[in-house]
This record gives sequence, structure tokens and C-alpha cells, in this order.
Amino acid sequence: MPEPIDVVRLVIPLVVGIVLGYFLRNNKSLSLNLNKIVSGTILVLIFSLGFTIGSNNDLLAMMPNVGLSAIVLLSTTLFFSIIFAKAARKLMKI
Amino acid sequence: MIKYILIALALGLVVGYISNNLGMITITVIFSEHSYNISLIALLFFMGLLFGADKEAVANMKRTGIKVLVFPFAIALGSILGGLVGGLILKLDLVASMGVCAGYGWYTLTGPLAGQIFGVEWAALGFAVNFLREITTIITTSLTSKIDKYAPIAMGGATAMDTTLPVIVRYCGQDTLITAFSSGFTLTLMAPFTITAIATLAH
Repeated sequence: MPEPIDVVRLVIPLVVGIVLGYFLRNNKSLSLNLNKIVSGTILVLIFSLGFTIGSNNDLLAMMPNVGLSAIVLLSTTLFFSIIFAKAARKLMKI
Repeated sequence: MIKYILIALALGLVVGYISNNLGMITITVIFSEHSYNISLIALLFFMGLLFGADKEAVANMKRTGIKVLVFPFAIALGSILGGLVGGLILKLDLVASMGVCAGYGWYTLTGPLAGQIFGVEWAALGFAVNFLREITTIITTSLTSKIDKYAPIAMGGATAMDTTLPVIVRYCGQDTLITAFSSGFTLTLMAPFTITAIATLAH
């Protein structure tokens, strides 16, 4: 996860991409080629994320102590988040 | 694709662990900072390009419009209620367990902040709950996207604007890009405020 200052740094490439994509929308080969590049970049990102976690000894060391509580809290959190998002979707007819 | 994602994650964990324990600081910095940041920014740009060029996705987005902003608030409420119920099951301090679940997956914030507000033992739990939220979202998106198109966005919470975004868009469709990003963005802004607000309510 980014620090607060990074939020702006993430919005800029996204918005620039959307605007550029809008003007290039009649270029058929664009999405074909880009999909492959995106897949490759996802793997680089996920590998780097794994690397960041794996190289953090403090983080790994605390896992066994809080693991069970964390799993219970995570399960209830995910359950209610999904239910509420689904309810909001129905309510707002999205 | 999910197979390769899991392999990349596992490989990253192992290589990161080995490199850190061998004291290879340069390699650690390259992967955990440079390649992480560059690939993230490149992905956002490419996904923006694909979205902008996708007529159907843009039309879908226009149809839903401002209504997508209901998602982050629903997800925030769901997360906090989840913290309450989980805290009841585990017989924990309910305020603190709601607080750590209001990190919405942002573990680098929630760990230190929960430690400061609720005490040292909550730093570890705050870190773990939110870190596992990110990992679980990456691992299960290919399955949960079949239950509900927006379930992975709810699971990802604040991380839906960066690390889990590419995986969500891949499985939930191009038209979920803006919904996922704006939801993650809003939750990222909300996290520090809701955690401190929950803590203040207790006093």
C-alpha cells in the first residue's frame, strides 16, 4: 500500500492513460498487444509484492502469534464487506 | 493467469526471504521499491489506456456514474461491523477490533496507528488482518468474481486502487476499473480518519 502522497502519483498515470486510450480507440491492435504487456506487468508487480513481504522479517515473525485472531477478524470483515457491497448494489440498482 | 499470479507471489516471498537473510540490501531495494513502484505506475497507465479505448466499458461507466461512490461507504460499514462481530467471537476489546478492521487492507498505516492508539499488541494484529486482506484478495479473486462481480472490490478495500486493482480488472472486467479504483481511493482517504474516530468514540 502506498503512503498518502503516492495517491496523486497513482491517479496521474491512470487519467493520462484513459484520455490517451479514448483518442486511440479506433486502433484495433492496441488492446491485443497491451493485454499481453499488462499480464506480464501484473506478474512483476505481484512478484515484487511477495518480495517486499518475504524480505520483512519483523512482519513474518509476528504472524504465528496473531495468526488465528487475524484469520477470524479477516473472515468476518470480508463477509460483511461483501454483503454490504452487494446490498448497496441492489439498493442503487448498479 | 491465476496460476502464474500465485507462482509469482510464492516465488517473490521465497526470493525476498532468502535475499534479506543473505543481507543483499541492493536487491531488496530494487524489488521492494523500484520494480514495485515502476510496475504499479505502468499498470495504472496501461489499464487506463485499455479502459479509455473500450467503448463498452466507458458506456457502462457513464450509466453507473456517481452511484459507484456508494461502494466505499458500504465496504467501510461492512468492515467495521465485521470487526465488531469478529471481536465478539474472539472476546477481544471491541473498539480496538473495529479499529483494526477499519484499515481496509492498508497494513502499513493500520499496524503503526493501531499500535499507537490501542497498544503494542494491536500493532501486530492490525498489521496481520490488513496484510492478509490484500493477499486473500489476490489469491481468491478468480473465484469470488463468480459469486458477485463486485465482491473482489469489497474484499480488496483500500488496496483496490493499487496492488489488487490489476487482478480485479482482469477477472471482473474492464468496466470495473473506475469502480474499483475510486472505491480503493476513497477507502484509502477514509482509513486514518475512521480508525481515529472509532478510538475517540470509546473515550
